[in-house]
Amino acid sequence: MSHDGHHSVVIPAPGPEFVPHTVAHHFDTPVQEFQAAKLGFWLFLATEILLFGGLFAAYFYYHETYAETFRVGGQQLDWQLGAVNTTVLLLSSWTMAMGVRSAQTSQKGKTLLFLGLTVLGALIFLGIKYVEYSAKNQHGLIVFSHLFDGYDQANKQLPWFQDYGGVMKDVPHGHLFFAIYLTMTAIHGLHVVIGAGLIIWVMKGAAKGRFHAGYFLPVDLVGLYWHLVDLIWIFLFPLLYLVP
Amino acid sequence: MTTNIPAIDQHAAPTGGSTNYLNNTSGFWSWASTLDHKRIGLMYLVGTTLAFLAGGLFALLVRVHLWEPDGMLFDNPTYNQVFTLHGAFMVFLFVIPAIPGSLGNMVLPLMLGAKDVALPRLNLLSFYLWLTGAVLATLAIILGGFDTGWTFYAPYSLYTQKAVVTIGLAVFVLGFSSIFTGLNFIVTVHKLRAPGLTWFRMPLFVWALYATSILQVLATPVLGITVLLVAFERLYQVGIFDPRLGGDPVLFEHFFWFYSHPAVYIMVLPAFGIISELVSVHSRKPLFGYKLIAFSSLAIAVISFLVWGHHMFTSGQSTFAMFAFSFLTFFVAIPTAIKEFSWVATIWKGSIALNAPMLYTLAFLIIFAIGGLTGVILGSLSVNIHMHDTYFVVAHFHYVMMGSIALAFFAGLHHWWPKMFGVMYDETIAKIACGIIFVGFNATFLPQFIMGSRGMPRRYATYVPDFQVFHQASTVGAVILGVGIALMVYCFVVSLFQGKKAMVNQWGGVTLDWLTPTPPPLENFHEAPVVTTEVYDYSTLDLSTTRTPIA
Amino acid sequence: MTAHAHSDHHSHGALQMGHHHVSSSQQFLSVLVALLVLTGITVGASRIDFGSANMLIAMAIACIKASLVIAFFMHVKWDTAINKIVFLSSFLFLALLFLFTLVDLTTRRWDSYVNTIRTPVDHGWVQPAPKPDAHH
Repeated sequence: MSHDGHHSVVIPAPGPEFVPHTVAHHFDTPVQEFQAAKLGFWLFLATEILLFGGLFAAYFYYHETYAETFRVGGQQLDWQLGAVNTTVLLLSSWTMAMGVRSAQTSQKGKTLLFLGLTVLGALIFLGIKYVEYSAKNQHGLIVFSHLFDGYDQANKQLPWFQDYGGVMKDVPHGHLFFAIYLTMTAIHGLHVVIGAGLIIWVMKGAAKGRFHAGYFLPVDLVGLYWHLVDLIWIFLFPLLYLVP
Repeated sequence: MTTNIPAIDQHAAPTGGSTNYLNNTSGFWSWASTLDHKRIGLMYLVGTTLAFLAGGLFALLVRVHLWEPDGMLFDNPTYNQVFTLHGAFMVFLFVIPAIPGSLGNMVLPLMLGAKDVALPRLNLLSFYLWLTGAVLATLAIILGGFDTGWTFYAPYSLYTQKAVVTIGLAVFVLGFSSIFTGLNFIVTVHKLRAPGLTWFRMPLFVWALYATSILQVLATPVLGITVLLVAFERLYQVGIFDPRLGGDPVLFEHFFWFYSHPAVYIMVLPAFGIISELVSVHSRKPLFGYKLIAFSSLAIAVISFLVWGHHMFTSGQSTFAMFAFSFLTFFVAIPTAIKEFSWVATIWKGSIALNAPMLYTLAFLIIFAIGGLTGVILGSLSVNIHMHDTYFVVAHFHYVMMGSIALAFFAGLHHWWPKMFGVMYDETIAKIACGIIFVGFNATFLPQFIMGSRGMPRRYATYVPDFQVFHQASTVGAVILGVGIALMVYCFVVSLFQGKKAMVNQWGGVTLDWLTPTPPPLENFHEAPVVTTEVYDYSTLDLSTTRTPIA
Repeated sequence: MTAHAHSDHHSHGALQMGHHHVSSSQQFLSVLVALLVLTGITVGASRIDFGSANMLIAMAIACIKASLVIAFFMHVKWDTAINKIVFLSSFLFLALLFLFTLVDLTTRRWDSYVNTIRTPVDHGWVQPAPKPDAHH
């Protein structure tokens, strides 16, 4: 693409196990490239905050309207599993931060190790989430097999909300808590899956030696994404499992 | 603004200098996979223009239907679909993406002295997301259409047996197209300005696009989650918008207007930017109140987040919230009026060239004054209760969206057309088209103010015979407007094949976009520009060097 | 407290992505411990009934945890001013969404005053319109 004879800027590799990085042709310096990508990614994270923000606004709106429904609904969730998952995500956020640090200090082996541990954390999180969803399914609070059956107009009930134990029978619109729980955790879970995918993608680059003290941008950005996933969970955990 | 590239850079171009962004490579794939902001801008131009023509066709169908009080063309449910298609196509596929996507993409990096936008791949992704949204919207028509109005108000949007999920998905995808364009422009403005191009040397079109981008990034995600939630409501009855399940439809309106009020400024701020450029260039005067206009764009961006409830005065909001929203709404008038007065003051005692872009600009100034002032009327709580959901509202926002934004878009197209293609359209035909559009537009929408103030509700397929004279006047106006737009499009298309060569610097502009070769080469500048003087300083340009046809 | 990892190859600094702050492992570990302790405090605080203050306490702790993640793990403390402004402004605008929707929701109860509004007739300023059946 450098038709005009400008040769591209190349960041040299710090050692034989690494490869150099060529700066995109429309940037003058590596600093400009790094800062542009980073600013762009922060803007993207801001959109993520506002996207989740809509869900949080809905949570607060109905927490204010149906406080009792939310209190009783929160008691149906397993706070111990929630706390374990919180710990798992916090640990994975730490391994991610260490992974970025390892890339920044050109430690290829450690980079791969910490990124791998982060993916492991994502998998454990999703596994525990599956156990939790199964329990909800079992108690009829979210019957996944009937999730898309539509509203039963004749009997004025939701097929996916059976509440076999009758735990929500004394509070108004008991399904509302579980609908919000499902929507928030499912969208968050989707972000966990995407995040894990992105980490595996940068691990491939790291294995080829692309990331080192001179160039670690993709690891840095994927790290920010992963921390955002953690950040959202930090708010979801007390709001859903320990309903105040 | 002088730079180290002389204004006659055209002749300094290397031999074989006729190579430009249009002809440096050819073939379908060279366009479909291009990362060049100028080519992406052109693809947006074609796409959004087609969407505009489709939306315009739906509008004409609506107007013809309303010729008779009982309606001429459709049964009531079909009418609902047609006006919904008009609104959704115009808003999501044309008005929001058109100016940033086409002219913004084309001009912003040029104005900054950059080789491209900061994130070219993301820019191409934005375009393909737009295309995906357009395909999904068309698919939704095939899958049974949608009849909710472009606003998708709950609970009707939750119950109607139409393709709401598909169009919701289209809006979600289009939203991310818009977000990525805005994100890209913010990064480009921050990181890729030419040396010497300080913030207060940036052309005002750049300032306007910057303010727009802030809104796109901060407001659009909430629309995204809102249409997702509507889709989820339809798929598994979340219940938060559904009164049968304990939900509150007013929450939907809060979410929707948290985006859609700022969206009004996502639409109009780029138009303001174009007008700011054009009044200066075609009056050959530096802009009056440059900094005020720049800051007023940012002020509008921020205030627009505080006023969304004025769309909901009859929705069941609390009286206190209505009072607060109405009060805050009036603050929008201040930065907006600053702009209008500054433009008029710029023209005053200027050396005015009454060419096609300037005629569109003058038309904008008149129409926007009406559109803006009727907005103040509608922002008053008590008057709004009376006018709510009448044709007065329809006329108001068409004076802004069609009369101001689309006309500013046309003005910008006439202004940058010679830059983009290196050819000039027939100015006489362009001016006649502008006159027809101005007359047709006012004939369409002035009667709507009158019948609206007399109680004609919007979105009705039929009406009482007392309103027929106004409806017929409006329909005649719409046909005139359609003829004017057809003539304008004809004028542009003919110029591509038969137009004479454009001048080196067609209008004698002094911003960086006019100081590159015409049409620009692949990476915009043969030599990286350095800015040494203030913006809109026309004393630095010898006009005699600009009026030679391009090589 | 912090290690400047590439101090040993400053020579080609201009060819790198710029001068980056690299946090020390100890700092990351301290942040992790603080986050885990705060999680414990959140759970503990939720067991005690503070009334409506429970929400405030839970959110305050979550905000502290979030600040730690943002400042240290996400490295915002050492990031450029514009990146800080961008990310933090998203929370500001989110606060606007919360503020106005909740103001609407919570002030609707004030609207009972509508039932007690005195009309011009109540004030005796105008005569009540004659009932339709008064003509019979």
